[in-house]
Amino acid sequence: MIIKYLRRAHLAVAATAVAGTLALSGCVASNPGGTEGGDGSANAAFLTIPREDMGTFSKNFNPFSPNAAPMTGQSIYESMLVYNPAGGDTVPWLATEWSAGKDGKSLAFNLRPGVRFSDGTPLTSKDVKLSVELQKELLGGYDYLKSIKTLDDSTIEFHFKQAFTPALYELGQQVIVPAHIWSKFDKPGNEENPKPVGTGPYTEVANFQAQSFELGKNPYYWQPEKQNIGGIRMLAFAGNDGANLAAISGDVDWTQTYMPDIQSTYVDKDPEHRHFWFPTTGAEINWQLNTTKKEFSDVRVRKALSMAVDREQVVKVGMSDYAKPADCTGLSGNYDKWRDTAVVEQCDWTTRDVEGAKKLLDEAGFKENAQGQRTTAAGKPFTFDISVGSTSSDWLSVANIIAQNLQDVGIKATVDSPDWAAVTASYETGEFDTGIVWTANAPTPYQYYLNLMGSQNVKPVGKQTFDNYHRFSDKKADELLNKFVAAGDEGEQKQIVNDLQARYSELAPVVPLFAGPEWGAYTTENFVGWPTEDNPYATLSNRAPTTVLVLTSLEPAN
Amino acid sequence: MSFLLRRLGFYLLAFWASITLNFLLPRLMPGDPVTRMLSRSQQRLEPQQVEALRTLMGVDGGPIIPEYFGYLSRVLTGDFGMSISRFPTPVSEVIASQLPWTLLLGLTSLIFAVILGNLLGILAAWRRGGFLDSVAPPLLVFIGSFPYFWLAMGALYIFGINMGVAPMRHAFSVGLVPGFNLEFILDVAAHLVLPALTIVLVSLGGWMLGMRNTMIATNSEDYILMAEAKGLRPHRIMLNYAARNAMLPSVTSMGMSIGFIVGGALLTEVVFAYPGVGYQLLGAVQGLDYPLMQGMFLTITAAVLIANFLVDLVYVRLDPRVRKG
Repeated sequence: MIIKYLRRAHLAVAATAVAGTLALSGCVASNPGGTEGGDGSANAAFLTIPREDMGTFSKNFNPFSPNAAPMTGQSIYESMLVYNPAGGDTVPWLATEWSAGKDGKSLAFNLRPGVRFSDGTPLTSKDVKLSVELQKELLGGYDYLKSIKTLDDSTIEFHFKQAFTPALYELGQQVIVPAHIWSKFDKPGNEENPKPVGTGPYTEVANFQAQSFELGKNPYYWQPEKQNIGGIRMLAFAGNDGANLAAISGDVDWTQTYMPDIQSTYVDKDPEHRHFWFPTTGAEINWQLNTTKKEFSDVRVRKALSMAVDREQVVKVGMSDYAKPADCTGLSGNYDKWRDTAVVEQCDWTTRDVEGAKKLLDEAGFKENAQGQRTTAAGKPFTFDISVGSTSSDWLSVANIIAQNLQDVGIKATVDSPDWAAVTASYETGEFDTGIVWTANAPTPYQYYLNLMGSQNVKPVGKQTFDNYHRFSDKKADELLNKFVAAGDEGEQKQIVNDLQARYSELAPVVPLFAGPEWGAYTTENFVGWPTEDNPYATLSNRAPTTVLVLTSLEPAN
Repeated sequence: MSFLLRRLGFYLLAFWASITLNFLLPRLMPGDPVTRMLSRSQQRLEPQQVEALRTLMGVDGGPIIPEYFGYLSRVLTGDFGMSISRFPTPVSEVIASQLPWTLLLGLTSLIFAVILGNLLGILAAWRRGGFLDSVAPPLLVFIGSFPYFWLAMGALYIFGINMGVAPMRHAFSVGLVPGFNLEFILDVAAHLVLPALTIVLVSLGGWMLGMRNTMIATNSEDYILMAEAKGLRPHRIMLNYAARNAMLPSVTSMGMSIGFIVGGALLTEVVFAYPGVGYQLLGAVQGLDYPLMQGMFLTITAAVLIANFLVDLVYVRLDPRVRKG
């Protein structure tokens, strides 16, 4: 019986393939992306994307839910502008232009004329107002907002309690929901929103299953000439293996799952069509030292530990050579244009220098004993733990390399790798020695330096904080950060960031390791027009604000 | 009748104990759902945002006693609240969308494993020392001792990738609209073959060995000798006299297995991307999703108890001694 089923399945697959080929040769362009979608002939028109982190999908298209179905904030709802970390540019989207008030305490957006939601209603400033209010009410944030004024249907003005320039990207990248629908919900936070109405290119949910669903074209999209793919199809996978297998066997078009040795496992199977691009625009990954502990409160110790680390080896062995070693500004690839060459030239504590590290440790009072071990002033061996979550295999090997490197300067570090939840809990309460940690990734380095050197989120040990886990603050950095949020033009901001970099390099609040890569791989078999290193109009992430830029740039191959 | 009533009372008590444990255990775990969610996605949020999320999802916590009684009344009315890791989808919806596939996969593989395993066991014991008896048990135990993950991956590699005769993932072809028609049913069946086959392979040895061993004991009973002396056909002795009596332990373990099916087959779901509750349950435990965990554990508990009750009923039919006990 089993064999019979198999044979039938084989025939069915062959039949689908034939139908698919027919579709390819004929009706791809006219296929609306399958609101019917069941006959297999529409397959070729779908952009297929796997989600390795969702074993099954739930029909939840609420953009204010932290667990919304994939593509909710990417292809269904859109924002006023899109910041592209790969190119460092800002793309006007639902807003055509914006201007800040002279005192920096207000910000006005002009909405694009002719934008309509997928039910045909035009987009107005009321929609923007409600969206920001809902975000603030349901998920918090926007504490700097004093009032929101809708001047007319296409102009909206935000007023702040004090000057706050990073607001442009926070407000600008807020997804916009239709007010005529969302104002009627009693509890918008608890709404599953099974039939979403948004301004995005692909809004029509079809064939929703636990294992997959499809999104068809928005009939009222404001750039119909850019809706060149038939639709989007999401596939659910319980883990990397299944998703990678689908990518390797060519069943998906676009993946961003971690794949070890992607060149030979993925690209070499079809080098003509398959490509990957890992721009280092991901968040900077740091090794944080708990500065509430006496030994790590000494900047000489922090710099010495940093000098002991062999970043080349960390990146090559730990990160499969996908990442880039950090320098003493701590800025990742995302912040390249903010980097001050004057500071970079004088970097002396982010390259491996065992002798220099030993000298600094001697100065700080951590002398070597007869066995070649570093000891504290009290004569005890200088040892500590490096925490990292057990599931991050790449970071785990990074921590192991650091522990090996430290042996060269006479320090014994132990890698401690429980579950991430336990690691994060110890970070939050400050009850850890050292640990591998991610950082903020925003359009400007403000958030990054605020989290690493600002006093705003520093809490005593035992009290939970969600930032600045290593609990380091500096008065001068605070002043610079306050100046930054009030600075109106970019030249002034740049000067302040230069000073912040210099301060960071002087104080070494954490040990910067490498800039994380933004994974992404694709095949041009069905669709072309992907972002590349030469044309970095977006990253290859399919869950970022830039995803919509890719969705509106892709075209069917042939 | 009094036997059944006594059993029913016992089941009610067991049910109460398990829902109480179900309530207490998740609350003894360290951390809270919101910070777990953050650590999973490695996001940084402002403290006010974390507070807002806590309020939104209703994980503020409160005095434990009133919460317990609220929980009891919600359980009795079947309202499990909203899942946290899938907020705002209701728990019942999360479970309902995945349970059918779990049941399909679990029941199919269990039925095949039980029938095949028991038949092999009966035959092996009947011809003790014969070819089947000397080859099958060691072979099946050998296969059963493979790590399931490895076996499943191997099967997927050979049949899915190399030979291309079996579908590689999911419960049915993507793009197909579920419906009660031949095309869909055949497609589901084809997708079921590999996942079910691998489960059957690893569990077959256990069923066969269990049956074989009890059957051997039964074969040496006096009434078998008596039956042979009466000149009954061997076929009839084997099935109606020996096997019927030897089957009782098998029925018990089958009851247990039916109950545990509801918990899902985590590894199968991971390898074959089969939609089911196993991965969801893992996610719920890792994410401290109390409502979803409670909903799932309760479903499992209820399934185990119901299956056992059914087994009790079957026992009454199979074994006259129980009726008096």
